[in-house]
Amino acid sequence: MMNLLFVSGLCVLFGVTLLQTVLVTGASAVFRRCSLAAMLGANLLFLAFSLNIVLRNSIFSFNLYQLTDTLRFSFAVDRLAAYFIMIISLVSTSVCLYSLGYVEHHGTNTGKNFLVGMMSLFILSMLLLVASDNTLALLFCWETMSITSFLMVMFDRDKAETQKSGLFYFVMTQLSTVFLMFGFIAIYHVTGSFAIAPLSSVSLLMKSVIFLSLFTGFGIKAGVMPFHKWLPYAHSASPSNISALMSGVMVKVAIYGLVRYLVFVLSPDRWWGVMILIFGTFSALLGVIYAFKEQDIKKLLAYSSIENVGVILTGIGLYLIFQSYGFTDLATLALIGALFHTLNHAIFKSLLFQTTGAVVNETGTRDIEKMGGLIKVMPYTGVLFLIGAISLAALPPFNGFVSELMIFQAFLQSFIIGNPFLKILLFLGLSLFALTSALAAACFVKAFGVIFLATPRSEEARKAKEVSPAMIAGPMIMAAACLFLGIFSFRIFSALGFTLPIPDMAVIGLTLVVTLALVWLIMRLVSNPTKRTSETWGCGITSQNSKMEYTAAGFSEPILKIFRPIYRTQEKVERTYNNAGKSNFKAAKAEIQTFKLFEERIYLPIAHFVQRFSTYISDLHDVDLDTYILYSFAAVVILILAIGWFV
Amino acid sequence: MAFLIYALLNTIFVILISPLFVSLIKKVKAYMQGRQGPQLLQTYYSLLKLLRKERVYSSNTSLIIRITPYINVVCIIVASLFVPVVFIPGMTAGFGNVILFLYLLVCAKFFMALAGLDAGSTFGGMGSSREMTFSAVIEPVIIIVFAALGLLLQTTNLYQMFATSLQSSLLINPSTLLISLSLFIILIVETSRIPVDNPETHLELTMIHEAMLLEYSGPDLAMMEMSHAVKQTLLMAVLINVLFPWGLTASPNVLSVPVSIIAFMAKGVVLATAVGVFESLFAKSRLFRLPNLFMLAFFFSFSTILFELLK
Repeated sequence: MMNLLFVSGLCVLFGVTLLQTVLVTGASAVFRRCSLAAMLGANLLFLAFSLNIVLRNSIFSFNLYQLTDTLRFSFAVDRLAAYFIMIISLVSTSVCLYSLGYVEHHGTNTGKNFLVGMMSLFILSMLLLVASDNTLALLFCWETMSITSFLMVMFDRDKAETQKSGLFYFVMTQLSTVFLMFGFIAIYHVTGSFAIAPLSSVSLLMKSVIFLSLFTGFGIKAGVMPFHKWLPYAHSASPSNISALMSGVMVKVAIYGLVRYLVFVLSPDRWWGVMILIFGTFSALLGVIYAFKEQDIKKLLAYSSIENVGVILTGIGLYLIFQSYGFTDLATLALIGALFHTLNHAIFKSLLFQTTGAVVNETGTRDIEKMGGLIKVMPYTGVLFLIGAISLAALPPFNGFVSELMIFQAFLQSFIIGNPFLKILLFLGLSLFALTSALAAACFVKAFGVIFLATPRSEEARKAKEVSPAMIAGPMIMAAACLFLGIFSFRIFSALGFTLPIPDMAVIGLTLVVTLALVWLIMRLVSNPTKRTSETWGCGITSQNSKMEYTAAGFSEPILKIFRPIYRTQEKVERTYNNAGKSNFKAAKAEIQTFKLFEERIYLPIAHFVQRFSTYISDLHDVDLDTYILYSFAAVVILILAIGWFV
Repeated sequence: MAFLIYALLNTIFVILISPLFVSLIKKVKAYMQGRQGPQLLQTYYSLLKLLRKERVYSSNTSLIIRITPYINVVCIIVASLFVPVVFIPGMTAGFGNVILFLYLLVCAKFFMALAGLDAGSTFGGMGSSREMTFSAVIEPVIIIVFAALGLLLQTTNLYQMFATSLQSSLLINPSTLLISLSLFIILIVETSRIPVDNPETHLELTMIHEAMLLEYSGPDLAMMEMSHAVKQTLLMAVLINVLFPWGLTASPNVLSVPVSIIAFMAKGVVLATAVGVFESLFAKSRLFRLPNLFMLAFFFSFSTILFELLK
């Protein structure tokens, strides 16, 4: 039965890729819709498959292709892998539904067909990656995932911005593969096997080398600071359904790799936990601080993904620290918090990217300063975005709150650790974590407020209309999941066999609803029901317009000012005066520039160094024949010397 | 069943007493300025008056500003269940969790800030921007204060915290004094009082909280004012219950509950007077000087943690 589910899902997804890209040329819109519907069905099959394993805690294994004993393409799905398959298939289901409407808006017919085909292969590669039971299959899927996602980022390939983003993404993703490959080869070197199995009797030094290399590899893909720079580029350039998949799911696949190796393969040392905690805290804080200043909505969401990956890593770091001291209950709480946040982030981030895609489609711009008042013309999209924003801002009783609560709860009990310095570090981490969470709320007040509230700031925003039903149905599934997972979190974990010290949100939710009903009833009875519509109060100014509203830049200005050392902002004010006494000025220009710290201090210096080095190497080629003969001669001499030395 | 009685009693008491504290602070400030001030029941009269007025909405607004008063009142009332003042109930699924308590307050604030942007007025946006900024900067302080309390009292549940502080005399403990200083600063910040915000003016330069309330009218305004007053009582109650828990009871009966209520009223009157005097002694601080005040509170609470960890 399980075999049937797994294989049929696999065949459908692969079949769609073949049909869309190779077999059928010039497929029509109807054909594409059928393909997307088939993909949706396949994802539902995988969802049923994974839920079955998660609930029963069983193990499923499947051998697809075997060349020799070590070289095989085989899969094993345990509870952890099934949990991630569930995340991938759940989000993909909603994105496929959304794409039914979204795909038709952009590009040529060939382009659309290609996009659908690649999307199918992309989802398939992620599902198989998570299911892989050996490093070879994992690497193969990892590369398939990277290449298909690169091709989809390049969907709008004529734009200069897309080309730059695509190149940036490609380089970073290949860099991550290099580190992973190094780690896997090191594991093969010490164990002689490609299997993903516990490493026993390996020295701590070797394990640490493997850990650092795998952490870098997975960290680049997950968008951990300082390897995060590709996220805002790739997410803003790609079509919104692809951003939803990349940010919602692909980033989580890297988290899966990290958790798999930390929990099941390497037996971690304490300092790994501290390191991951520090990386997590800084990714979270800097991610949200950078998100706050963004005016480009998709970049804002991308930075917020970096923040959430930081939150997940913080949970993983706490797990490792508590585990190393033997506090199993707290360690479980932190790990489940991290994993639950992985699911929650996948859900609300894909919800936000999907609704953002609808908004960007209608207004034709990603700049939130040109939007405004959209909730009146796009009520469904607006409310769905609001639900995503509430979950992301960790407000009760939604799912984002519950997972952050678990991590908070684990943090608050860190006083039971013996080492005083580690305790102080953890309390500092706690305060930064709280700052992150509060800034995320502020950031999404800005995003929702500027996009959907007040009055339109441009002609396009004024003309926007509500999108097609498919583009509402997709995010609606995710919004329902946000509420469901939040309210029933405690019950779900109890059913799965984890009794955690968290509040039962079903009771809290019920209390909220009952209170709301009572308040509404009382207000209905005692208050005056008359309502009137009038103008916004403007201090006596009668003709207010959208230029007088608060802008996104204005909203984020106080934060920008307080965190000036982090943004490295430079304020320039230039004035020309009418008189010599400089009391009356004619014209003025003011600007605030933010400095791209990571790009200008880390990425570009490395890029420049590589470029100089390769220029030097290529200069060596550009010489006469006699110099080439000299090169050959030198090479032969070095070879002879080397052979004499080693043999 | 005991919890239902607690919920009803606690909620009704907190709602009834909150406007009194608001007027009392105004009265104290008036005395400090040599004025008579409003009578003590004035806030009740104003709320009743507002309930009878009509609601006026701006033509720019959406459903956000219409649902915000309800969300505010509901979040604050549910949060009020987390801070027992009549008696400490037994443990119940989830109630008393300190993080949930804080995030219910954040939830109210989130919607208030959104509604501030809804009407498209310059003032509302300014208020939301400032409110969210300072709520973000004060958040680490709040968490560290409650972490320090959790460390001191060995629990993260407010009910247990109060029960523990009731049994042990914490007043003589230097850590408690440091924490109460931070709690007092949080009370000032979260209730938008001088030197952070000036609750009495509608002047662009000084207002944060009031700027977001400009677009409400009638019953909606009454709900917003009410939830603000209840929030103030809750934060006062946290400070009182940690520092001076005397009179609060953990074993409710016909005798102990009225004692607990009267004791809370007496302590509340003292604290409200202190807040009024404090407000009169300070001037509104410049907006970007405020993080210094927050750092002071952070310093107090973090040094508590250091004391406790290293002693």
